[in-house]
Amino acid sequence: MNEAKPELLRGTLDMLILKIVALGPSHGYAIAQRLRQISKEFFTVHQGSLYPALHRLEDRAWLQAEWRDTDTGREAKFYTLTKKGRKQLEAEALGWEQLSTAVALIMNSVE
Amino acid sequence: MNWIRRLFRKSRAESELDKELRFHLEQQIAAAVAAGADLKEARRRAQREFGGLERVKEEVRDTRWETHFDNLVRDFRYAFRNLRKDRRFSLVAIFALALGIGATTAVFSVVDRVLFRGLPYAHDDRLVSFGLTAPIEKDEFMLGASYVDFRRAPGLFEEVTSMLPGDSKCDLTEQSAVRLSCARVEQTFLSTLGVQLILGRNFTPEEDRPNGPRVAILSYALWKDRYAGDPSVLSKTISLDGKITRIAGVLPANFEMPTLVPVDILLPEELDEEVQRRSVPGSVLRTFGRMKPGATVSEGIVGLQPFLEQSLHGAPPAFRKEIHLSVRSLRDRQVHDAILASWILLGSVFAVLLVACTNVASLLLARATGRQRELAVRAALGASRGRLVRQALVESTLLGLLGGVAGCWIAHLLLRLFVSIAPEGIPRLQEANLDLRVITFTLGLAFVSVAIFGLAPALSNPAPEQLCGRDVRATTRRLLRQTLVAAQIAVSLVLLTCAGLLLRSLWNLQRAPTGMETDNVLTETISLAAYRYPQTPQQIAFFAELQRRLQPLPGTIALALSDTLPPAGQMRSTILAAVEPEGYPPIAEGTGGAVAWRAVTPDYFSALGIPILRGRTFLEHDASASENPIILSETLASQLFPNEDPVGKQLRLFRLQTPWRTVVGVAADVRNNGLVASSDPEFYLPWKNDPVESLSTSQIVLRTRMNPSAVAAWMRAATASLDPTIPAKIERMSERVGKLAERPRFNAVLLSLFAAMGVVLAAIGIYGVVGFLVAQRTREIGVRMALGATSRGILKMVLWNVARWTIAGAAAGILGAWFCTRLLRSLLFEVSAHDPLLLAAALATLLVVALVAAWVPARRAARFDPLVALRNE
Repeated sequence: MNEAKPELLRGTLDMLILKIVALGPSHGYAIAQRLRQISKEFFTVHQGSLYPALHRLEDRAWLQAEWRDTDTGREAKFYTLTKKGRKQLEAEALGWEQLSTAVALIMNSVE
Repeated sequence: MNWIRRLFRKSRAESELDKELRFHLEQQIAAAVAAGADLKEARRRAQREFGGLERVKEEVRDTRWETHFDNLVRDFRYAFRNLRKDRRFSLVAIFALALGIGATTAVFSVVDRVLFRGLPYAHDDRLVSFGLTAPIEKDEFMLGASYVDFRRAPGLFEEVTSMLPGDSKCDLTEQSAVRLSCARVEQTFLSTLGVQLILGRNFTPEEDRPNGPRVAILSYALWKDRYAGDPSVLSKTISLDGKITRIAGVLPANFEMPTLVPVDILLPEELDEEVQRRSVPGSVLRTFGRMKPGATVSEGIVGLQPFLEQSLHGAPPAFRKEIHLSVRSLRDRQVHDAILASWILLGSVFAVLLVACTNVASLLLARATGRQRELAVRAALGASRGRLVRQALVESTLLGLLGGVAGCWIAHLLLRLFVSIAPEGIPRLQEANLDLRVITFTLGLAFVSVAIFGLAPALSNPAPEQLCGRDVRATTRRLLRQTLVAAQIAVSLVLLTCAGLLLRSLWNLQRAPTGMETDNVLTETISLAAYRYPQTPQQIAFFAELQRRLQPLPGTIALALSDTLPPAGQMRSTILAAVEPEGYPPIAEGTGGAVAWRAVTPDYFSALGIPILRGRTFLEHDASASENPIILSETLASQLFPNEDPVGKQLRLFRLQTPWRTVVGVAADVRNNGLVASSDPEFYLPWKNDPVESLSTSQIVLRTRMNPSAVAAWMRAATASLDPTIPAKIERMSERVGKLAERPRFNAVLLSLFAAMGVVLAAIGIYGVVGFLVAQRTREIGVRMALGATSRGILKMVLWNVARWTIAGAAAGILGAWFCTRLLRSLLFEVSAHDPLLLAAALATLLVVALVAAWVPARRAARFDPLVALRNE
């Protein structure tokens, strides 16, 4: 793991997972891969954070899980976004947008 | 539900988690291999990156709630096992807690209504009962003539109101007629009390005038029972005492009269101002008011002063000195004689709770000392402080919970017991139920006491020496435990002494002579309906006929009529100053106190077994209008005619406006103010065929040689044959007398119960502590025995240890009892609050109990086999 890379903001991981699952049902490994790819290797999420987060989101019924075969014919646990999860994602995305806009405003003005 | 399913299919969840993580790992390896790495190297790297499968699993588990639940369940299971393992300790602790919680909750539920709960009126703290008090009327009243002036400018009162005193009956004369309690109240009554009707409207001022339109307000119960809660009653009329009356409104369910008399119907008072002014002093009224915010009771009294002058203006000077102004809160008026008893019960039950809590505390402390080694081992094995504290908390909670549940059950039983043995006149007892607030409070108290003493050992860092079972802090703890035992002894002694006093007082009370022979005497209270017997002659005719029909009942020794009966309750009364003996100057000062009187038929004295000391009883012809005989009680005779034979003397009754009367006899004194209060002197007038006073409520007394319950049935039948609508209340005289001791009996029984609880708890406490002491000193005792101590010596040593603390506790208890019993003084009857004999008896009881409780474990110590004891760790 690269030490220089910033820690994910608290709670951001949940939002990112929801966003990725929203693109289509996927299993834990795929989610980790996609996070890395989409962020252009910026985020590497550790299994010790990923799986607790996945189970937490499942507990809150934002994700739904089922066992399915992958393309390679292996059985894996696939997560899908629920209706509740979609709503949560929308709310978090909005909040994030406002937060980043506000942060950007402050950073720019100080400069 | 996913989460519930997971709780029950834990192994499946575990294997799925395993499968999911392994899949991830394999994908990672596959990816590395695909990137060209060697399989072995790829696996090694992936595993390093993954950082331990088990750790990830643990982290995942931590996010799931059922893990916390599991831990809690495990803690509870462990705690439960611990409690089961130490069965004697657990049972005793739970029993002690349950007794404390149960008794406190039950008593609090009862006295809460008396002492703390608000009255069912808006801003009840400003409501007062005000007016005059006199020797013969201890509750406030005002006379009509001054009240009609006062209410025009009530000064510091926001609003005042009045009602006619007493519990008057009226009859609902429709099909299936019933006798109801009707109260006549002023139009301002409901607004002063701040009562909102649930239906309809208050009386209008027009309706409260003499001969105004007839209207009535129904009680909630009457409306529900008789009119099925139908809102359309407002358009209906009812026939009340034969008169058509319109229903104006319905009272709320929680309404009660400020005098606490039961009421079914409110009627307008219809006070006639003109009549009241003319006929100074006017009618007697019960007066209530709402003080202005901030106004005090003493200011209220000052404001009433002019009206006192006015009321006493025409009165003989004798009256003036003994009439006072009084303003007191409505609550005081309602519960004044239950307050002291309530506080005493509450105090004693708190004492029981205190003993119970100390008991549990000392048990917990004893156990904690025994478990120091276990704690030390667990700490050494890596249990964190938080974990130990949580464990201790869970154990305390479990203990508190079990004690609490058992306590609620005990409270429920006790409350039922209280209600069934409670005397009449404890306000609102019937409504007492287990109150959630009270249960929460006592449970909380129990939890706190259990938690404090349960947590103490977990909070201190276990010392390494404790791993080998050496107790390093035993001395301080021992001191604390023994102080707790001493406190239990002290509190129990106070409780025992108080209970002893009340029991002794009850014993005196029940043996106090009433002046009557009450065995085989039946009484029948008859109240004639005003609409059926409106005139006195009709009432007289009814009673004459009833007497004629009862006369031939078999076994009758004597049959008499009287308007009222001793030893308590209503009686006619006047003042001594109103009785003028011929040849003596009138009493110079004061009223001379109250004098009771009754109208009785000739056989009254033989029926009640009251001896005629001089002269004769009344004769048949005394009932005629031309005769004016009088019989005096012994006390009254000696007051009126000191050192003289009163028979044949003449006297005149001022207030009765009657001619000179001749004293024909002197009867022995009879208790007439209940069993405790001092009796009033009394005189008897013959039951006349043309009385001045109404006789609508009168009593029949019958002395029989037959079985009283059979005779009671005959009496009932005879009354019903004459008029089936009359509710006849038939009681044995002995029951009537017995009822008077009900309240002292209630107090005595409860306090004895609590004292017994206190003693039992103290005994358990001593037993537990001594038992533990012995167990802890096993090794030391072994050494002593090995060095030649006899078992007698060991016994003495252990007992002496207990005796020291018991004596210290007893000394504190004697001091406490000395103060506490003084509070009881007004509840006592012919026994001194500081009766040394009773104190000694209580002390002896407690010492014997303490000795026995200590003896059992001490004997066990004395029988130790030194070899076994020495090896004991």
